[in-house]
Amino acid sequence: MKGSLLLGGLLMLLLLGGVWQPHDPDAIDLLARHATPSVAHPLGTDHLGRDLLSRMMVAGWRSALVVLIVGAIGLVGGSLLGTVAALMGGWGEAVIVKIAETFIVVPTLIVALAMAAVMGLSPTSAGVALGLAGLGPYTLLSNSLTRRLLGQPFVLSARAMGAGTAAMTLRHILPNTAPVLFAYVGSNAGQAIIAYAALAFIGLGADPTRPDWGGMLFEYRMFVFDSPMLMLWPGLAIAVTAGLLNWVFDPEAVPAAT
Amino acid sequence: MARLAIGSGIRALASLLAVSLGAFLLIALMPADPVMIAIRAWNLAPTEETVAALRENWGLDRSLPERYVIWLTGFVAGDWGLSFRTGEPVLTEFLRRLPLSVGVGVSGLLLAIALSVPLGLAAAQRPGGFADRFSRLIAISVQAVPAFWIGLVAIWLLGVHLQIVRPFSGGPSIVAIATAIIALHSMGVLSRVYRKDMLEQASRPHFRTALAKGLSRHQALWHHCHRSAFFALLAAVRSEAGWVIGSTATLEVLFGLPGISQFLVQSIAVRDYHVLIAYVMVVAGWMLLMNAILQFAMRRLDPRHA
Repeated sequence: MKGSLLLGGLLMLLLLGGVWQPHDPDAIDLLARHATPSVAHPLGTDHLGRDLLSRMMVAGWRSALVVLIVGAIGLVGGSLLGTVAALMGGWGEAVIVKIAETFIVVPTLIVALAMAAVMGLSPTSAGVALGLAGLGPYTLLSNSLTRRLLGQPFVLSARAMGAGTAAMTLRHILPNTAPVLFAYVGSNAGQAIIAYAALAFIGLGADPTRPDWGGMLFEYRMFVFDSPMLMLWPGLAIAVTAGLLNWVFDPEAVPAAT
Repeated sequence: MARLAIGSGIRALASLLAVSLGAFLLIALMPADPVMIAIRAWNLAPTEETVAALRENWGLDRSLPERYVIWLTGFVAGDWGLSFRTGEPVLTEFLRRLPLSVGVGVSGLLLAIALSVPLGLAAAQRPGGFADRFSRLIAISVQAVPAFWIGLVAIWLLGVHLQIVRPFSGGPSIVAIATAIIALHSMGVLSRVYRKDMLEQASRPHFRTALAKGLSRHQALWHHCHRSAFFALLAAVRSEAGWVIGSTATLEVLFGLPGISQFLVQSIAVRDYHVLIAYVMVVAGWMLLMNAILQFAMRRLDPRHA
């Protein structure tokens, strides 16, 4: 409960960053480089005199966007593929499951890295890349859930009463698989934050004018000698966001996709 | 056993082939042409002849299926093509860089396994005790903190504050830090898996029998639950192996380590086809090899396991 409230507060803050920042995040002020925290600049300024808090807020909004896209792709794509496979049965299901199993072995970050390098790194492209590369577990989870449901008495009786496949899926199967898949989305949200930070840190195809937590860490790593505070804040933002997500949606409590 | 090994070997080869085909298509269809990038980078005059000459030189004037067959036959024979960027054989470059990347990844994983067993055992010995809470703290924090940030903090702490290591130097101490970071992350996950399975085993009748025989809890856990818990741990290593590649990549970028991921980052922007596909094949090979080794070890631990 406490966790959900904190997470809700953080989410509001991230959303706020999408529409409003205290300063222009790209406004360069060479006279105020490496400024210490003050009322005007609560977190200080970076090596070009840009307001750190404003940059962090824009970056936060972009991270939140990635999580939303990854979650939506996993939820929609995974239930679509998994449920359709279970309903088809036979070799059609075998093929889909086999492909999903192969995709689990492929390192998500490397696939997303290549896709971002080609399409350019933005929250949308990274979200799509991470979402597609991570679709395997969602498909397997929703497939095994649907299979289990198909043998349940209430589904069998619905079928005996003449319910068509579409009606049965919408009324009896998806409402029962959705909560588990939602929990799985939640348990992966923290990982999505970290994966996006890693992509932005490596920086392939990134737009240098748009701040990201990971990209800021890469940019500020050279100032570890002079102003280590610069690399403290983005890292802390990643850790707090991912940590809160992991706390609220406990990854250890979610059933594995087998 | 031999039949099984041959069967999985054939399956592994088939998936390598499938991966190579998919990767080849994906790489060849990427937007931006390596020839045009090279002409701009080397300040050549973009005349018809230059373009055609480069294209022919790099074998890009042929059709896609032809290029794939040429690449595949070369790859199998150990000729991985020349890098567009450096003109050097790709295989030589990879052989120079692989020991570092694989070394960091494998030693990190081995260290993590070696540390997870005692930590998980101590955590299972007294659930809720110090070791249990400590391993949980590590597990929670490593899942919330990116590896490269731990690396940055390590640079600040060891390099700037204590001045023990030289940051960004790529020296042995930096390699050691990278290995330790990989180990720390994997240990967080693996020790929890080990502990969880151990406690599950400890609720079974055979464990109570062992206690009734007069074994201490520690002895009973070690002799009657370790095997199953270690099996669960190895299963978790399988999914950890992919993560290790990704975080080795970010650590190579952070510390400036000359591994294969750093090579990938340098090559992707100029569309260095031969390097890109070689990287994909190496990563796929690593995943399949890890899978095979772990499967073998798991079968030795539990012959019932299919």
